[in-house]
Amino acid sequence: MTTTLYHGEPNGPSLTVLAALFEKGADATLERIDLAAGERHSARVPHAMEVDHSIEGEGPILVVNGIPMADSVFLACYLDDVGSGPPLRPGAPHDRWRMMTWCRYIVERVAPAASYLGVESSPPARVPEDIASVDLAQRWRDAVAGRIDETRRADSRSKIVEAVERIERELSDGRDWLIDDFSIADLESYAWLAGMQSIVPEAFADRPRTAAWLARVKARPAVARALATATGPAPERVWAPGPEINRWG
Amino acid sequence: MAETASVTLYHWEPNANSGKPMLTLFEKGVTFESHYLDLLNFDQHKPDYLAINPLGTIPAMTHGDLVLTESTAIMEYVDEAFAGPRLMPDSPVDAWRVRWWMKFMDQWLAPSFSMIGWSIFVGPSVRSRDPAELDAAIERIPLPERRVAWRKAISGSFSAEEMAESQRRVAVGIGLLEQALGQREWLASDSYSLADINGFNLAYALPLSQPHLSNDELTPNIMRWLRAIYARPATKSCWALGRTDMARRVTILEGEPA
Repeated sequence: MTTTLYHGEPNGPSLTVLAALFEKGADATLERIDLAAGERHSARVPHAMEVDHSIEGEGPILVVNGIPMADSVFLACYLDDVGSGPPLRPGAPHDRWRMMTWCRYIVERVAPAASYLGVESSPPARVPEDIASVDLAQRWRDAVAGRIDETRRADSRSKIVEAVERIERELSDGRDWLIDDFSIADLESYAWLAGMQSIVPEAFADRPRTAAWLARVKARPAVARALATATGPAPERVWAPGPEINRWG
Repeated sequence: MAETASVTLYHWEPNANSGKPMLTLFEKGVTFESHYLDLLNFDQHKPDYLAINPLGTIPAMTHGDLVLTESTAIMEYVDEAFAGPRLMPDSPVDAWRVRWWMKFMDQWLAPSFSMIGWSIFVGPSVRSRDPAELDAAIERIPLPERRVAWRKAISGSFSAEEMAESQRRVAVGIGLLEQALGQREWLASDSYSLADINGFNLAYALPLSQPHLSNDELTPNIMRWLRAIYARPATKSCWALGRTDMARRVTILEGEPA
């Protein structure tokens, strides 16, 4: 089996998948691509319907035996299935449901907010050519032009505040991790929220359990190794257009 | 939770989110109590149901003491918690593809179908009622995003731009479904899976609702796939729980290929 991971700077979905790969000790060739320059749309990267129309936006691509796959949470599930390291998902069906609904919340509500605020803070320089998805191309044009809607900005900031409140509440029983044992839910949540500490600092003020959880995730050897793949000093400040803000409730 | 603990599903029509866990339960052969909620009568925002699911979203399922929400996550739970045929492929790549398609449909394609469906069906179905009664019903909706959607549906105020974008996405989605179903028998793998159950709930009425985009000539693979799912005994049992003309649209699939 040949596996190649095309990944960007270790932030957002690239961080989730890199860390999952290292947690599981799975075997893959790493290829760094510049997601913020739109390199995912170039001929350097294998294309497939599932990559071109991934609603995650600019995320990593895992190519297994010639099959290009996208979407960080599901790539992490794949790596959990094939890797030999400790499980990244709970074993009991109800706990797995808890993890999948938590990840859905992060993917659907938090990730769009984080990437909206992220590209406002670090806008990409130019719109890449050959973007297959019409709505992703529009998000690129808006990001490059700095077109920010005030209502969406305010809503995105409140989504980050709510996410940290939820984490603080989840951990109030003294647990170390979001779903009992360490899981993909911790990775995906950390990956989208780490960079929000400088952009929405009020969300993290006086949230001691979340602060300790962030430190625990960051200290894991696999996460540290993923962060060490960075080519710049602050990967948490590197953003590219992500998932769209939900258009139907 | 013991597999034998009792299961109750709170659902509306066999359609979209409600139909996903309904059809999964039928495919798995799980005996469950069906608790029908009339969405057009705002049953899902009444105290009895809010005591089960405080967010007022449909569907919800109880299994013994457990309460589960979010239709796609419920589907995975049902597949894992009960005996019966496995609806997630063994191959990790195929399992990834099942989840990819369910996310694509849940978060990108289905909202566009919903916007069109709500503007032509749900809105007009409730619009003629007493405005004060409707206002009160909307105020009881827990999620702000759902309050906005209901107000738009009732007042018919989806913008032309929003509707055009939804129609564009429906056309793109149909093209991608046809492409995928031209590559393999089922949507995400060579075996019937949760992706097919999810997709059928989204697409069963396509030849009726989008006849210019989906028909035997333009999308033969979609039509083959829909008819194959409709022919399954579980699908027949599931759609028999429908009470409205909306669910009865499924009978379009009884026709032979043109």
